[in-house]
Amino acid sequence: MSFWCSANGEPWTWSWQAYPGVWLFIGLLAMGYIETTRRVSDSETSRRRPFFFAGLVILWLASDWPIGPLGAGYLASVHMLKYLLYTFAVPPLLLHGLPREVIRRAIDRPFVFGVIKIFARPLVAFAVFNVVMLGTHLPVVVDGFNPSQIGSFTIDMAWLFAGLVFWWQVLAPLPELDPLSYPGRIVFLIVNVFIPTVPAGFLTFADYPIYALYELAPPVGTLSSRVDQQIAGMIMKIGGGFIIFLTASILFFRWHADEETDRREDGKTGSVTV
Amino acid sequence: MRQTWTRWLAIFVSAAVLASCGPGRPPASALRGRLLLDPWEKPDFSLTDTDGKNFDFQAETEGFVTFLFFGYTYCPDICPVHMANLGAVLKRLDPQIAGKVKVVFVTTDPERDTPDRIRDWLNSFDSSFIGLLGSLDSVNVIQQRVGLPPAVIIEANERDASYTVGHAASVVAYTTDDKAHVMYPFGTRQQDWAHDIPLLVRGQWSIVDSR
Repeated sequence: MSFWCSANGEPWTWSWQAYPGVWLFIGLLAMGYIETTRRVSDSETSRRRPFFFAGLVILWLASDWPIGPLGAGYLASVHMLKYLLYTFAVPPLLLHGLPREVIRRAIDRPFVFGVIKIFARPLVAFAVFNVVMLGTHLPVVVDGFNPSQIGSFTIDMAWLFAGLVFWWQVLAPLPELDPLSYPGRIVFLIVNVFIPTVPAGFLTFADYPIYALYELAPPVGTLSSRVDQQIAGMIMKIGGGFIIFLTASILFFRWHADEETDRREDGKTGSVTV
Repeated sequence: MRQTWTRWLAIFVSAAVLASCGPGRPPASALRGRLLLDPWEKPDFSLTDTDGKNFDFQAETEGFVTFLFFGYTYCPDICPVHMANLGAVLKRLDPQIAGKVKVVFVTTDPERDTPDRIRDWLNSFDSSFIGLLGSLDSVNVIQQRVGLPPAVIIEANERDASYTVGHAASVVAYTTDDKAHVMYPFGTRQQDWAHDIPLLVRGQWSIVDSR
């Protein structure tokens, strides 16, 4: 039994494996949420709760058997799917699922507030997200970290952290932290489409497998290591790009709707004035 | 102060230059496989191929770079990875280079590896790969003559009588001088094969032997 999924070099079997560290981690997050929202039990919490727990379910699915171990030690494509879930699916759901009062309480200490202020800056968020994305896909990091449980856990947590920093810019949960305007958020999203093209390009167009870990792993099915790597590259580029453009489109329509509302309200105010 | 910095910089640059030229670093064209300082002779043996015909190893591989590997089709890790990597690289190499290479797979599990099963399994990597069968005793004698340890059947599961076979994990590379100068352990990557195969075909193993 292992605490966290890692590459152990054993032949893959479809027999279920227990990862108690994953259950502990998800359980602690769930208990923490229930405990902190108990004191702010209002309509906002009940409206946001499903999002938080949807995020937790996806986090659990991405970390536990079979996605967790397959991604950690057997298939680069599943590793990339896991990365996408950790950075593009789980963080926005967790952030959106947190009642604003809970976030305000959590950062209501000078030190925490100062740290959040730093990571809430768009350039810092851009740097953190892209450095983590590039760094955790370097062959030396993937091959070096994934064989150990602590290493694999570190990569997963780095993805989750980078995802939370990234989506903080997009969801802008606290107006008092001077969030980006709608067009600013759209630009932030679009800018983040380009840098993943570099690792995705290497994965898709490399002549030979980049990661020794997946190339030399006991095979799962008939997928060759090169095709597996090409699928990983496409998941990174197309999957990530799709989520970013979808979110940018949603923001654009919200921006348009807000503008319309403002214009209508201005019109009403104007008619009263005249 | 400035002189101290310059001195340290000079020492660092000199050390880096010396390290890159020292005896511990192989020449740029050195093979990436594990060198056999005392090259192995190509063994003389005959087994049956997957078509049921006699296969004289020395005669059939003469003039080719030949990769000889002992394994079994039920192998869950080493054998399929070696075969898949060799197959993938040979497909991407210049056909003139790849055409001068033969891959010979000898089963160490003649009980379960039927000719058809070996053929299907090898075809999933490269249909040009040659599959050979013989009794486990005769295959073990050949392995010992090659210089590899004999295969051992490990009873793993009493319930369904399935078992694994302990066998050598290295691919032995014979060059056109009918000797093996290098072997490739498990962990050899596709980029290593892609680097070494053209050198072996061009007969450039001697660069390594002269070290």
